[in-house]
Amino acid sequence: MTVTRDRTEAAGPEPLPLPEVADDRTLVDACLGGRREAFDVIVERHQRQVYHLCYRFAGNHEDASDLAQDAFIRAYRGLHSFKGQAAFSTWLYRIAVNVCLNRVGTRAQKWTTLDVADQPDLRQERADARLLRGERAAAVRAAIVRLPKKQRAALILRIYHELPHDQIAEIVGTSVGAVKANFFHALANLKKLLNAK
Amino acid sequence: MKHLNRIEFVDLVESPAALPVDRLRHVERCERCRNQADALRTVHSLARADDTPEPSPLFWDHFSARVAEQLRSQPAPAAALRWNPVPFAPWAAAGTLLVLLIGIAVLRTTLHAPAPHNRTAVSTASALSGDDPLDDPDNDEAWAVVRAAAADLGWEDAHEAGITAHPDDVENAALQLNAAERRELAHLLDEDLKRNGA
Repeated sequence: MTVTRDRTEAAGPEPLPLPEVADDRTLVDACLGGRREAFDVIVERHQRQVYHLCYRFAGNHEDASDLAQDAFIRAYRGLHSFKGQAAFSTWLYRIAVNVCLNRVGTRAQKWTTLDVADQPDLRQERADARLLRGERAAAVRAAIVRLPKKQRAALILRIYHELPHDQIAEIVGTSVGAVKANFFHALANLKKLLNAK
Repeated sequence: MKHLNRIEFVDLVESPAALPVDRLRHVERCERCRNQADALRTVHSLARADDTPEPSPLFWDHFSARVAEQLRSQPAPAAALRWNPVPFAPWAAAGTLLVLLIGIAVLRTTLHAPAPHNRTAVSTASALSGDDPLDDPDNDEAWAVVRAAAADLGWEDAHEAGITAHPDDVENAALQLNAAERRELAHLLDEDLKRNGA
């Protein structure tokens, strides 16, 4: 009887399942406390944003999914360094941006479009419009990849993730003024690259 | 008037209301700034129009399973020891104070430990006052043996035997006495001087 009670006390109560609505800080603490499954919730919650970020840097689905996976693994390894001073998403974006900047160069990327532009459409006018839009989108993506890294990061985070300048500054580790300056140059260079085509 | 700088151009493209009225008026009058702003707006709109392509809905399950599989081979992330100076400071101060107090106590005990000759002096005083018969040198057998052996010992003989005190020994011994012991020594010297008719 005594042995049974002692064993029960040593094992502790059965951990409660992690609620999907638990905030990121709670999930991080649970993960650091030995509950790995907490990180699965984090991945499910942020995978879309991280993947999109990586897609804009890499330009194709295969590389984007590899980069996103790498970003999450790095985040998991460095989870103890998350101090909670910034939002978890900011911290995660920082890791993803660093992974992308380190792994993706300024080389020309192979661009793949995942939309349905290449599917046959009997309505010729609409098909033409789609084709034009698809070509324009491909040109913009190709031009973005050719931007210098910091300009690219500023433009992607601002336009495609709609982050405020101060949060971008926190992610890339610079000032708001520098972010705005990089954003300005990114737009100016994008214009030159698109006009040159 | 000065043309718009890079930051002002960004503000103009994103939210013109953020610019001061005089800067907006400048843009209206300055063709160069106006053209630059129009070009930036066009590129900005073009970039915004390009939505990020969505992968297959099945991809997300596949992706999270892939990440989970990779993480299984990773060691569990350990919580780092977090340095928090605010709660630590009072403990550090208390610890330092405790060490200082112990140090002072040990130092005082060591410095004021009674030396053998002092103990004799105090014991003699106690014996004279009759407080402790065991410390009475007149009734102490061991002290009687020493006294008998030294009875015929002259100063010169003691000096030749090397059992005399060095010049600084008395002064050093006196410096190690505490206040009570110094009072007792003064009392003994006073009595001795009176007894010898000084």
